Amino acid sequence: MTEPIIKVRNLHKYFGLLHVIRGVDLDVLPGEVVVIIGPSGSGKSTFLRCLNFLEEPSAGTVEIDDLKIDAEQPLRHQRKRIRQLRRKVGMVFQQFNLFPHMTALENIIEAPITVKKMPKKEAVQKAEELLDWVGLSDKRDEYPSRLSGGQQQRVAIARALCMEPEIMLFDEPTSALDPELINEVVDVMERLANEGMTMVVVTHEMHFARDVADRVIFMADGAWVEIAPPDELFTNPKEPRTRQFLAHLL
Amino acid sequence: MKPQDDAPGVHHPKAVKLAWALIAVTVGFSLLYALQYFLGGPLRLPVVARLYDMDVSPTRGLVAAAADDGSVRVWNTRRDWEMVVLPAHHGAATGVAFSPDGSILYSAGEDGRVRKWDVAAKEVRQDFDAGGDRLNDIDLSLDGARLAAVGRDGVVRVFDTDSGELIQAIGPGEQMGWAVAISPDGSKVAASDGVNIQIWDAVSGKPLQTLRGYCKEEGFATQKECEKADKRWMGHEKAVTALAFSPDGRLLASGSEDTSIAFWDWENAQVKWESGGHWAAVSRMVFNEQGNAMLSSGLDGKVRSWRLPGGKGSAYYEGHLSDVNGVAFGLAPETILSASSDGTVRVWETLNQKTVRIEWAAYGLQSEWGETLVYWMLFSGLVGLFALWGMWRFRPWGHLLAIIIYIWGPVVILGLPLLETLSYPLSYGLKLQVAWPLMLMSAWYLGLMLLLTHESVADFYEAPPGLSLSERLMMRSQTHKLRGTIYTTAVWLLIFVVLYSLLRRFNLDIAFMRHWLPFIMKGSGLTMFVSLVSIMLATVLALLGALGRLSKSSVANGVSGFYISLIRGTPLLVQVYIWYLGLPRLGIVLQPITAGILALGVNYGAYMTEIFRAGIQAIGKGQYEAAEALGMSRAQAYRRIILPQAFRIVIPPIGNQFIAMMKDSSLVSLMSVWELSYRAQKVGRQYFRALETFLIAAAFYWILTVIFQLLQGKLEEYMARGERR
Repeated sequence: MTEPIIKVRNLHKYFGLLHVIRGVDLDVLPGEVVVIIGPSGSGKSTFLRCLNFLEEPSAGTVEIDDLKIDAEQPLRHQRKRIRQLRRKVGMVFQQFNLFPHMTALENIIEAPITVKKMPKKEAVQKAEELLDWVGLSDKRDEYPSRLSGGQQQRVAIARALCMEPEIMLFDEPTSALDPELINEVVDVMERLANEGMTMVVVTHEMHFARDVADRVIFMADGAWVEIAPPDELFTNPKEPRTRQFLAHLL
Repeated sequence: MKPQDDAPGVHHPKAVKLAWALIAVTVGFSLLYALQYFLGGPLRLPVVARLYDMDVSPTRGLVAAAADDGSVRVWNTRRDWEMVVLPAHHGAATGVAFSPDGSILYSAGEDGRVRKWDVAAKEVRQDFDAGGDRLNDIDLSLDGARLAAVGRDGVVRVFDTDSGELIQAIGPGEQMGWAVAISPDGSKVAASDGVNIQIWDAVSGKPLQTLRGYCKEEGFATQKECEKADKRWMGHEKAVTALAFSPDGRLLASGSEDTSIAFWDWENAQVKWESGGHWAAVSRMVFNEQGNAMLSSGLDGKVRSWRLPGGKGSAYYEGHLSDVNGVAFGLAPETILSASSDGTVRVWETLNQKTVRIEWAAYGLQSEWGETLVYWMLFSGLVGLFALWGMWRFRPWGHLLAIIIYIWGPVVILGLPLLETLSYPLSYGLKLQVAWPLMLMSAWYLGLMLLLTHESVADFYEAPPGLSLSERLMMRSQTHKLRGTIYTTAVWLLIFVVLYSLLRRFNLDIAFMRHWLPFIMKGSGLTMFVSLVSIMLATVLALLGALGRLSKSSVANGVSGFYISLIRGTPLLVQVYIWYLGLPRLGIVLQPITAGILALGVNYGAYMTEIFRAGIQAIGKGQYEAAEALGMSRAQAYRRIILPQAFRIVIPPIGNQFIAMMKDSSLVSLMSVWELSYRAQKVGRQYFRALETFLIAAAFYWILTVIFQLLQGKLEEYMARGERR
């Protein structure tokens, strides 16, 4: 049996007195695609952001590929380890967050060059391959402001992939997109899943969850309500809250 | 995208046809006027007659002046300045001299002849052949028996005035003869030869003396070596342009293009006294009968008087609008006279240097304006023809070109002389007499301008017919923009013209300004240097300050907070003093420039800290997160992602600060740094002309600012390359 690549134990997050994540555990196997769904305000995004410490967990441990970070120790002293962890984890944001002063290509090669000290030539070559893979090789020298939302998000995916992460986190990647642009991004994500990338995805895109996910987690009020393979969860949810949520959705 | 010229069904608005007609008339008139002018035709704008020399006859109360139209004007002051015009020469008349009793008048001209007039009969008595080349100067001995003339050919000719015989022709010298002087007894003649002065025996032509510049200390051959050793160079540096013997014949006064005046003990070839005389070349000089005073006139529009012995300047006579070319001691005691290129003879009171009488040889515009207008008529006629052709073919550029020449041109070419003429010391009736052609033309062009900019014409040419809709829309936005720029520029020009005329009314000493302009200008490099280095220092400090303010470290926060509070809370002036005067008490002595740069840099750094902080804070949180999620450290994120974006935001306010700093850099003048303001202040105080020098400095600050604004625009354009266009 393979070891999980992500191990989360008893993760808590407080915003002031607000208890946003109430002690969740999660194991994700390599190559697995986990989709987290749930009503807004349930803590999905916060949980995802805790995985690469963009949000600092209040308690609990996150272990990614043998790199274990205990939130109870002061995180100030674990900065270096957090940066190491982030190298293994790519992230895609709802608002794309491309660097507006750089072209598509420059956006992609920036981190490999500054962080990984990759030679520029190699980085450019890799970036071009990735742009081709997301279908944007003709937009190489465009600035983000000249790209559509879908194109920007695909550049953002290429940017994350260029760091050769072992895990990809998607934080509602299609929520800011016009409906007709959603497919081009979902399509890229599907291809990525098919190539065996470990993915944790927060989304409202139920088709993606149903078609691609290995497991779907329904989250509410900062805790797991139900974890199940998509067929089971969508067709035959066990918990009443899940049922209620899915009923609203469909 | 080619307009079809005669597309069927094209409707021409009546206003467009009217515009064609008006421009055709304007073009036709302009070209005709220019053509007939150059062919010597009768149509001329009234212009003044430039006066090139003058003399007076005290015994008969006569004043004579040589005019550029070839005539000699003689006024009889005893008959209320009744004027007689003697048609003396072909080309301009360049010199006049009265015989001692005032019955005879000698005139010299560009035609190379000297004529001897019987003043009462207004007839030429004799005609001396002086070589046929342009004459520059004549001089008469005290008894009136001999006359010397010199001209472009450099030959000095001495005539016997009774017989009209040429006694001696000397030379030519190496260079053109600007000035000649004959000794009171008529035995010696002096003439300019470049920077040197030659003196000959008037009868034999034997050289007696050469006056040339020399170093006050011995052992330095050239002027360069002499000045390098910080020794004084005596004599002139540029061509000698005026000469006069004192009544006793012992002194020879010389004035030069280099603006200086020297009094020579010519027998020993020594400069007795020397003085900076004018702010431009000296044109003529004359001694009084007693030999204890001398007058000089200059191309700076001034007359100066000098006291002898000693050669000290005693008074300025200011008021002429242009070069002063002749001076004379008065007909009456306590008055002097001067004649100028502005077309007037002025009588001055010596007690308070006030003008008591102005006599015009002819009423009109300043002659430069007459010429400028003709050239402009020719130019605007030709360009107008082109514009008319373009308009007739429905090309938007034809219309734009017409707007350019018929708005920009009149604003400058008519506006300047009009405003100047209206400020002449003349009665309103005479002003009107001078200015009416200009006013008429202004009205005409105003009408033309109103028609060209009227919407019925302008809209038509924004997108002329015969094009597809998309082409017309595109052309419309382009021409509309261009037209806006042309109008704006016209407004700028108009304001410039009005401002310039206003400044002229300040009675600014233009020749003085021209003389000192290069000196003050030399400070602009240092001003720019101080500002640039200071802004760099300020930028670095501001960046550190902003990062300190935003950092979580209490130490960094405290340091930058205190820095901002202290520096913003105390006057820059005081800070300058602390850097310059305070630090030496700790044993740290700074160069003035260094102290200035530190003071400015540290001061502006504090103000700019807030700008930087705002710029950094304006960058969205998502950018930090994206950078961190990619594994960047905080420093890397700032360097590569945040600061480049923040810089783009802060460039306009920093540019603003830079412009402010460029002017605050004048505070460095407190420490005797030779930048713009200090130079202006130094010169202004020395000659009591602070307004003039500070205006020069202000102009240079403005120019620097404009240049910088252009650069800033380019920089912003570059930095905004990621923005949606």
